[in-house]
Amino acid sequence: MKNKFLEIKSPIKAMRGLASISVFLVLLSLLACQQEKQVKTDNGPLDVVATTGMIKDIAKVVGGDRIKLESLMGPGVDPHLYKATQGDLGKLTKADVILYNGLHLEGKLVEIFEKLAEQGRAVYAVTEHIDKSRLLASEDVENKDAYPSDPHIWFDISLWMEAVETVRVALIKHDEAGRETYNKNAGAYIQELAALHEKVKADIASIPEGQRVLVTSHDAFRYFGNAYGIEVRGLQGISTVAEFGLKDVSDLVSFIAQRKLRSVFVESSVSDKSLRAVVEGCKARNHNVSIGGTLYSDAMGEEGTPEGTYIGMIKHNVNKIVAGLK
Amino acid sequence: MSAFWIILTGSLVAASCGLLGCFLILRRMAMIGDAISHAVLPGIVIAYIFTHSLDSLPMILGATSVGLLATFLIELVHQKGKVQADAAIGLIFTFLFSCGVILISSWTKHIDLDADCVLHGEIAMVPFELWITESGLNLGPIAVWKLSILFLIVVGLIYVGYRPLRLTTFDPQYAAAIGVSTGFWHYLLMGAVSMTTVLSFESVGAILVVAFLVAPPAIAYLLTERLDHMLLISLLAGLISAVGGYALAAALEGAIAGAMTAVLGIEFIFAYCYYVYLRK
Repeated sequence: MKNKFLEIKSPIKAMRGLASISVFLVLLSLLACQQEKQVKTDNGPLDVVATTGMIKDIAKVVGGDRIKLESLMGPGVDPHLYKATQGDLGKLTKADVILYNGLHLEGKLVEIFEKLAEQGRAVYAVTEHIDKSRLLASEDVENKDAYPSDPHIWFDISLWMEAVETVRVALIKHDEAGRETYNKNAGAYIQELAALHEKVKADIASIPEGQRVLVTSHDAFRYFGNAYGIEVRGLQGISTVAEFGLKDVSDLVSFIAQRKLRSVFVESSVSDKSLRAVVEGCKARNHNVSIGGTLYSDAMGEEGTPEGTYIGMIKHNVNKIVAGLK
Repeated sequence: MSAFWIILTGSLVAASCGLLGCFLILRRMAMIGDAISHAVLPGIVIAYIFTHSLDSLPMILGATSVGLLATFLIELVHQKGKVQADAAIGLIFTFLFSCGVILISSWTKHIDLDADCVLHGEIAMVPFELWITESGLNLGPIAVWKLSILFLIVVGLIYVGYRPLRLTTFDPQYAAAIGVSTGFWHYLLMGAVSMTTVLSFESVGAILVVAFLVAPPAIAYLLTERLDHMLLISLLAGLISAVGGYALAAALEGAIAGAMTAVLGIEFIFAYCYYVYLRK
C-alpha cells in the first residue's frame, strides 16, 4: 500500500480536480439557495424574538396580543450552552424586533447582535440603558469600568425594571399604533415589579441577620445579594470549565459550620453533586446543613407553571430561601 | 440567501480541514483538532487577563498562539522524547488545558470564560455577520471571506509542498536521505492545521472542525490507495456533508453543525460497507 501511495502523480492534475470541485460547490450552493423562499411578513403583528425566557416574559407582558413572540432559548436552557438550530435562523431572519440580554450572556451571539444593530436592524440589548455604575464588574477590582460586567442582572428587580423600560421603548418605536397598549401594560408591570422588589427586601430582612447567607453552586446571585442585603457564596465561579477545588469545598464547609447555616441551595441548571459534597463535609464536622431546595438561576421553569414567568421564578426563589434560612 | 452562505461556509471549512486531515490521518495525528480545541484555553484566559475584554480579536490571537505552541510542543515531545504521536497529543493538550483551568480558578473571579462562549462560533449565525463597506456595499459574511483566504492558503501549501509533504508522510527516512527536511514540512503542516482549526472554531464551532478533520479523510482512506485520489474524495465527502447536512437540518429544524456531522457518519458507514463487502 505504501508503494502505491508513493506512485508519482502530478499534483497539477489533483489541483485541476480541486478547481472543478470548487465550481461544483458553488453551483450546488446556488441550487440550494434558489429553493429558499423569502418570508417576510410586513403586515400583521410585530414579530418579536427574545433570546432568554426572562426577556420573552417581559415582551409577553408588555406586548400582549399585539406582538407575535418567539424565544431562542427554551425553558431550562442555560444561555451559556445554547446551540442555534435551523429554526432559530429563520426566526432571526424574519424578526421585526430582536431583544437580547447583552453583557456577554449570550456569548459570541452578542457580537453578532451588535453588528446587526449597526447595520440598522432593530436589535436591542435590554441592559443597554442601565447605568454602568449599577452593574457589577466581573472582577473585584478598583477600576471596574475596565472589566466586563456580570450579566445576571435579572435578580435585582429594580434593574430588571429598566429592562422592561427598554422593551417598551423598542416596541413603541416599531409599532407606533400600539403606543397606548404598551405604555399601559409596561406601567402596570413596573408597578407590580416595584411592589415585588419591596416585598423581597422585606422577606429577606425577616431572616435573622447572622443567617442571611445564600450558598449556591455557582456564581449567579451577586445582583440578588447586592440588592437585598444577603451575603452570597458560590462554590464555583461563573465559568463551568474550572471545576471547584478541594480547597473551595473545605473553605465553604468551615464557613457554613462557623456561621451555623441551616441550608444551602442547588440551581436548576447546575448539577447538585458538588453541593452534596459540601453537605457531607459539614456532617463530618458535626454540623447539619440541608439542601434548601432548587433555585432557578440562568433559566426559568417550564412554560405554563408558575415558575415559568419572571415573577413566579423570583417568588419561588425567595420563598425557598426564606423557608430554608429562617 | 442564508442557506447559500451556510452551505458555502460549511464547504470551505470541510475543504480546508479535509485536505489537511488526509495528511494528519496518514501521520496518525487525526485527533490533533480535538486536542487544539482544548489546548487553546490558556491562550483565551491570558488574552482576557491582559485586555480585560471578551472581544473576538484578542481571543483569536491568544488561541492561535497557544494552538501553534501546542503543535510545536507535541512535535518536540514526539520527536525528541520518543513518545508515540497519540500519547504526545494527549500529554500536551491535557497539560495546556489544565494550565487554562488553573489560570481561570486563580486569576479570574466572576466571569464566564471558556472556549465555548468566547471563541467558538455557530455556523447558523454566519449569515448575520456581514461585511459592509463604508459606502454601504454588502460583501457577504465576514466568515466566508476569512475561510476563503484560509482555503487558498491550504491549497497553496499543498500545491507547493505536495511532493515533500507526501514523502515526509510516508517515508521520512527516505525523505531525509534525499535532503528533504522532515521537521520543516511537519511544522509547516502543523502550523497550517492550528491556524485552520482556530479560525474555523471561531466561525463554525469546535465539533464541526474536529469532524471535518477526521471523517472525510477516513472515508477517503477506505475508498482509495492513492494520495491524490484521497485528497479529492475527502473534498467530495466534505462537500456532500455540507450540502446534505444543511438539507437535513432544514428538514428537521435541527442544529446545523450536528446535522453535517451526522451526514459524515452516514457517509462513513457507506464507505465502510463498500470497503468490507465490495472491494475485495
